[in-house]
Amino acid sequence: MGSEIPIAVTVNGVRHQRSVEPRLLLSDFLRHDLQLTGTHVGCEHGVCGVCTVLLDGEAVRSCLMFAVQADGGEILTVEGLATGNGDDLHPLQRAFRDAHALQCGFCTPGLLMTLVPFLREHPNPGDPEIREALSGNLCRCTGYQNIVEAVKAAARP
Amino acid sequence: MIVEGEFTFQGPREMVWNLLQDPEVLAKALPGAKTLTKTAEDRFDGAMQVGVGPVTAGAFSVTVVLKDQVAPERFSMQVDGKGGIGFTRGTASVELRAAEGGDTLMKYRADLQIGGKIAGVGQRVLDSASRAMTKQGLEAVNRELQSRLTGAAPAPARSRTRYWAAAALALVALTIALCGGPWR
Amino acid sequence: MIGRSPPRNEDAALLTGRALFVDDVHLEGMLHVAFLRSDHAHARLIAVDASSARGRPGVVAVYTAVDLGDYWQPGPLLVPPPPIPGLTFHAATQVPLVKDKARHAGEPIAMVVAENRYLAEDALEHIVVDLEPLDAVVDLEAALAPGAPVIHQQLGSNLAAHVVQHKGDYRQARAQADRVIARRFRYDRGAAAAIENRGLVTHWDARAGELTVWDTTQAPIPLRNGLARMLGLLESQVRVIAPFVGGGFGPKIMMFYPEEVLLPWAAMRLRRPLKWIEDRQENFYATSQEREQIHDAELAVTKDGRILGVRDIFLHDTGAYDTYGLTIPINSQCTLLGPYQVANYDSEFKVVFTNKPIVTPVRGAGRQHGVFVMERLLDIAARELKLDPVEIRRRNYLSPDAFPHDHVILFQDSAPLVYDSGNYRPALERATAAVGYDGFQAERARARAEGRRVGVGIVSYVEGTGIGPYEGARVTVEPSGEVRVATGVGTQGQGHFTTLAQVVADVLAVDAARVHVVTGDTREFHWGTGTFASRSAVVAGSACHAAALAVRDKILKLAGLLLEALPAELELAGGAVQVKSDRGRSMSFGELAVRANPLRGAVRPGTEPGLEATAYFGPDRGSTASGVHAIVVEVDPETAMVKILRYVVVHDCGRVINPVVVQGQIQGGVAQGIGNAFYEQLVWDTNGQLKNASFMDYLVPTATDVPKVETHHIETPSPLNPLGVKGVGEAGCIPTAAAFAQAVEDALSEYGLEICDIPLSPNRLFELIRAAEAAGAAGAAARQTGGAAGAAKR
Repeated sequence: MGSEIPIAVTVNGVRHQRSVEPRLLLSDFLRHDLQLTGTHVGCEHGVCGVCTVLLDGEAVRSCLMFAVQADGGEILTVEGLATGNGDDLHPLQRAFRDAHALQCGFCTPGLLMTLVPFLREHPNPGDPEIREALSGNLCRCTGYQNIVEAVKAAARP
Repeated sequence: MIVEGEFTFQGPREMVWNLLQDPEVLAKALPGAKTLTKTAEDRFDGAMQVGVGPVTAGAFSVTVVLKDQVAPERFSMQVDGKGGIGFTRGTASVELRAAEGGDTLMKYRADLQIGGKIAGVGQRVLDSASRAMTKQGLEAVNRELQSRLTGAAPAPARSRTRYWAAAALALVALTIALCGGPWR
Repeated sequence: MIGRSPPRNEDAALLTGRALFVDDVHLEGMLHVAFLRSDHAHARLIAVDASSARGRPGVVAVYTAVDLGDYWQPGPLLVPPPPIPGLTFHAATQVPLVKDKARHAGEPIAMVVAENRYLAEDALEHIVVDLEPLDAVVDLEAALAPGAPVIHQQLGSNLAAHVVQHKGDYRQARAQADRVIARRFRYDRGAAAAIENRGLVTHWDARAGELTVWDTTQAPIPLRNGLARMLGLLESQVRVIAPFVGGGFGPKIMMFYPEEVLLPWAAMRLRRPLKWIEDRQENFYATSQEREQIHDAELAVTKDGRILGVRDIFLHDTGAYDTYGLTIPINSQCTLLGPYQVANYDSEFKVVFTNKPIVTPVRGAGRQHGVFVMERLLDIAARELKLDPVEIRRRNYLSPDAFPHDHVILFQDSAPLVYDSGNYRPALERATAAVGYDGFQAERARARAEGRRVGVGIVSYVEGTGIGPYEGARVTVEPSGEVRVATGVGTQGQGHFTTLAQVVADVLAVDAARVHVVTGDTREFHWGTGTFASRSAVVAGSACHAAALAVRDKILKLAGLLLEALPAELELAGGAVQVKSDRGRSMSFGELAVRANPLRGAVRPGTEPGLEATAYFGPDRGSTASGVHAIVVEVDPETAMVKILRYVVVHDCGRVINPVVVQGQIQGGVAQGIGNAFYEQLVWDTNGQLKNASFMDYLVPTATDVPKVETHHIETPSPLNPLGVKGVGEAGCIPTAAAFAQAVEDALSEYGLEICDIPLSPNRLFELIRAAEAAGAAGAAARQTGGAAGAAKR
């Protein structure tokens, strides 16, 4: 089974210490070891974007990283976006709900985690910028338009 | 899938042929080849480590049956390889011709089926990886040829059987077909 | 509540990561499954040796076909063919694991169960399989040629079905025609590509004697019933849960996938919970696909563009097995007729087995093929007759008084193809106005002067939706006053938690947020079929409506007793019942629910405890939705890139329950349609190897590829259900390719090219442009003479 390596990560403000196999993907670590199943897996080759999480503030594809690479890092997953025990939605989450920017919702966590840093860096984005930012995330249900509207709404609350 | 091309060695045909008899040279040129063993008359079983683009390297067993050998001019072969990442099967032929200025022109052509993960996921890099690896491998052989022509390296071991040469060429063709690397 | 767009009830869970998808199910002691799949598209299985894999660390079991014993059985034929006279149909359904022959790449050969997925996959490499490759059948025409390799030996050929349907007398119509337009059309294969792959978790509780299966299925109830039959259990011993499902689009209704047969069986043997989650690469082989057809079609028209008749002969690729019967080709056959008056129709198709993954409905389910053929024929006819493409459609529409309209032939649900209702002209006029069709000539010229080529396309379609057999629902008012609805359909993002809640909320006059819908859990409701064919709002919605009405009656009856009023004197408002003339006399639903379930005293004969009712709805036949799509594109002839400038949909799905949800379905459907039209194609080599089995190479449209869709609603209520609704789930993707083709041709009108193949990738369009340029003057001359050249079969 290979030797295991001890790692320590902080996820959504909670510190976790675990021993993991070197080949364990970060996405599997979050989903299976930490039971944070809000981060989804769609392609395992870095194209669909549904596994996106923030590592030290930057959006990363957790299916393209090993858990050991996140050692010492600070991770934010979709479970950490809302406050107040998950009831007080993040402005972006509210905007998604209000704009009907999700249907099956499977790609939604990855979109949210892609857009949080995007909005931080682009506080007032236009349509082309938003679409560009979204172009690394696949959504099969919505046709993207309502997601664009949600981002605009979240940027100008 | 058809893979074909040619390559010019700066050296005489017999020397190229002899050089290709040396498995150590080929091991350097083709790091994916791990073993190659003669298991019957004109039949070789080998093991390679093969990966293509996003397909992580996996163990690949290879059987090569040689046909129509005319040393040092040409031969053809039946190639059958399979592993966890897919399979390849088909025929390949290699031809060495004396060219102008004492050079040797190598022509190769393989008609192969590629299947499994290599075909499904590796497709986008099959062509370019194939070209790059072939060029890399053959250039490595050519460099060895140059160093021997200038006497910088020891003479090749003459005691190897002709099967090693043929089998080595089979590996060249196989690598071309599988587009092999990078070997991860 | 109906007609409004409240926030979706399901969104909070989905947005915060709390929503449970199948892969989120984690059970104590759970083992993980991986499958060894055939690398060959067609090969005889000589031997499998799993002994080395069985001995690997962490491996609990490895199963091959022989290990299954009598449990190894081909799957059931899901949809028997309709009773069409003279029909030929040969069933050959998928098997759990390859026993004698692999019939497509990716067909499972062995199943590994291990402590985790990593170890299970490691073990796959240690299974030694001896396959003897056979020549593969890939091309549809070659598959039927004499001497072609035969995929199902017992059938003697690769013909799966042959179906002929007639209406009127096409031969006579053709003889009377001023012009006959004949072309060959191809529609190539694509993947549904739901972002969530398939998967399931199975758990056998030996003490309770209960099997629980979490499955990404669109049809949990038929799955439960089938599993009970296969495993020799009572239906009540099997609980299938389709929790949140990350997109369905059709393939998730296919059953029984090998994994669905194997995991429950193995979980019962091993007495450990099992999980299998398909990975993306597997999805390209192991999940069903759709779309490959070749049509030779002709349209007989008068010189003023009136349709006299249509003939269409086509081949349909069913892949290696034909489990789903004839649903797709019959959809193509029927939907071709569109909103038009077609008095004479000859339609014939052959279904062909090939060494490719199984074909079952994918969003649109063959309807898009029929629409593409008909709309293209009309476009070409308009061009040859020098008619406006919009005008030729206008001239052929069924008039509003033509309904119900009987097309004589049979639809996929075995019912006659009868359009229940429709009114097509208003949608066309609305679309032309919205897209600025009348002024478009000037816009095209203006753009041309700037060196840009823009074109417009406007097409029509109908969609048979909301077919039977039936669905049911149970509505309960709980003592808290909250309302609970249980129904059997699964849900994959359509918004059922909200739209079905709205239907019930409307009847009970409560806020939709207080109506809690549960779907896709056979423990909650075990009668019904599933979510497919744009039917849930129609069929399950009507069942919810009926159950809510029954509960409303109970509320009024009980409240009448308690408030000492006649039911007619009462009204429902804000989760309470009140006397109309004296609103102070009222009782809340919660209070009534408590009183309806007394702890003492008897429930009187003829009454039932609680405020609960179950009802069913089964339409005789489907309701026919319709619409018009208009698109404006800009094409760069140098690069063959197409930019979509405008996209307008005018849609008639009868009464709209939730406009925002409907708009979302259409927008998403259009995105999928654009993918079908321009980007998405599964490419096979001649040996049946898929060459683009990843999202790197199979191009699902991204946010930069999909335009904003302007949606307009027209409501022609269906008379076939109490809500007047029609389905909308597939509408967006059905006419997209036809609209796209017309607009691209229009933008490149001086090239005179014809688009008869879909998908029209940039590469293919580039080739068409270059070919047209090469044809040059000769082509122009041929177009001038018209007739003969135009009618010649390409």
